[in-house]
Amino acid sequence: MSLVVVMSSFDLREEDMSPDPANKFVLDPHSAAFAANPYDVYAAMRAMDAPYYWEEADTWMLTKMADVEAVALNKTMLRNNEAFITEADRKAQQRAINFHDMPFHERYVQVNLLESEGETHDRLRKVVFREFTPAMIARQRDAIQTFVDGLLDELSEQDEIDFVSDFAAHVPGHIIGRVLGVPDEDAPRLRHWSEEVVRFFDPGRDDADKARAELATKEFYEYLLNLLADREAAPQEDLLSRLIARRDAGQLSQDELISTAMLILMAGHGSTIDVLGSGMHALLRYPAEHQKLRDDGTLMKTAVQEMFRFESPLPYFHRFATDDTEVGGRMFPAGTRFGLLYGAANRDPARFENPDVFDVGRTPNRHMAFGGGGHFCLGNHLARLDMDVIFTTINARFSDIVLTETEVAYKRGLSVRGPQALRIEWKRA
Amino acid sequence: MIKLTFVQADGSRIEAEASPGTSLMQAAVNAGVDAIAAECGGACACGTCHCVLPQEWFERVAAPEADEVDMLEFVIDPQPTSRLSCQVVVTKEMQGMEVNVPDTQV
Ligand code: HEM
Ligand code: FES
Repeated sequence: MSLVVVMSSFDLREEDMSPDPANKFVLDPHSAAFAANPYDVYAAMRAMDAPYYWEEADTWMLTKMADVEAVALNKTMLRNNEAFITEADRKAQQRAINFHDMPFHERYVQVNLLESEGETHDRLRKVVFREFTPAMIARQRDAIQTFVDGLLDELSEQDEIDFVSDFAAHVPGHIIGRVLGVPDEDAPRLRHWSEEVVRFFDPGRDDADKARAELATKEFYEYLLNLLADREAAPQEDLLSRLIARRDAGQLSQDELISTAMLILMAGHGSTIDVLGSGMHALLRYPAEHQKLRDDGTLMKTAVQEMFRFESPLPYFHRFATDDTEVGGRMFPAGTRFGLLYGAANRDPARFENPDVFDVGRTPNRHMAFGGGGHFCLGNHLARLDMDVIFTTINARFSDIVLTETEVAYKRGLSVRGPQALRIEWKRA
Repeated sequence: MIKLTFVQADGSRIEAEASPGTSLMQAAVNAGVDAIAAECGGACACGTCHCVLPQEWFERVAAPEADEVDMLEFVIDPQPTSRLSCQVVVTKEMQGMEVNVPDTQV
């Protein structure tokens, strides 16, 4: 989709507001052009007078920070529409997206903290929130540093690497695994299971992906059962041991414990890999900003925030209205599905000065890469600590980092954002 | 408009104005108090909008709900008169109130 096509559909008039796919701007997030530059498309959608209706997904897409924020913070906007559909409709809906007939996935992946609302959400969130506070996460710093040092030792013999597959892809399995209490040697299995399950959320999913997602969920479940038995016999200083104590105190069920452990792994796995890749890419695309950061390491906190804003790795979530509500100047009935384009809101010129400029010192930087409202990302402190340790260490250990292939292809789709590969050359400092 | 003053950790003062019914967090953010990170946007879901009220004001404003009390347990260096600013509703009685803002939220 060329920008010209996008621009020519700017002048949506009042009568154009009803869903009408013909000769209108059509969002095609699976295209190569969208992957190459979603931000011009977001800008075109943002320039419309009212939210853009995305026919394919029966969803009203929000790109302005004010609209995204309002919906994320609105307590009548829920992640699921179960409140106003029948069980039969729910089943039909599940079948329509091919999420049926997969007992393990239905039980441990399709139902969890993120997908819940109300009392269940509040209760589960309270149980795990304390595990992810800045103080708890700071305890992981030395372990993260040791792991990163070791990984870089292995790689520093090579002058040229794919930063995504050779480095970033190894990070989250080990770090989230350590938080959970999974032994280090099992981290590659975590990564495998996570990738198999997450792949099944892709729009292009097929029955082979479905079988693999179900198998991975089952294997991960069985693995967790064994690990839980070990921790029951001998509790450790880890999240699983503490969750067992909370389960035994009646704060969450066994199923909820397992789905929470799976969610923690899945939510933080691909997103961490993607933002490490896009963060590194941003530094290499804007060498003056990289130099600023090298010259003044105290900018690392703002630089990491800017990496999350600039290329938000999880740019798209949704909500359902449970009441008739006004959004972006238009009334919508209960049942309407809204798309929260966090990645677009984070480039909104109404909120950010020069939003398309990567600025390692940007302050304030009130972005929404971690969402907002009741589902605000639990893992945000961990994600930021990873980035902080990693980029600080890389800047200290390597000089002259350059892209060897300047054309960097990003993953396709609306829900994820990150480079497929990032070939770089680096010299030990 | 209600006039409020945010006193930052280094002693500098930021004057703010707020309409009754909005949150203290919103007033701080609008006035450019960067130390109020308020990352969840005001849902009592992040604990990064911590502020400390003077004793006399703490006693006068509506008491925190259970959610906020739970969350206050996790803020850095909580004080007896700590509040989450997103959960404090500005009222006309707050005319001239001073609010202390900690050095860091994370
Ligand atoms: C690395 C980059 C990450 C990004 C960009 C990110 C982003 C997000 C976003 C936007 C949401 C809100 C979803 C919504 O609005 O519906 C969310 C929720 C969540 N995230 Fe993250 N996340 C990241 C890493 C992590 C990590 C490392 C963990 C765990 C270790 C994690 C755990 C969670 C959980 C459990 C939720 C659900 C919270 C709830 O429903 O109450 N995330 N994340
Ligand atoms: S803004 Fe998140 S708890 Fe107040």
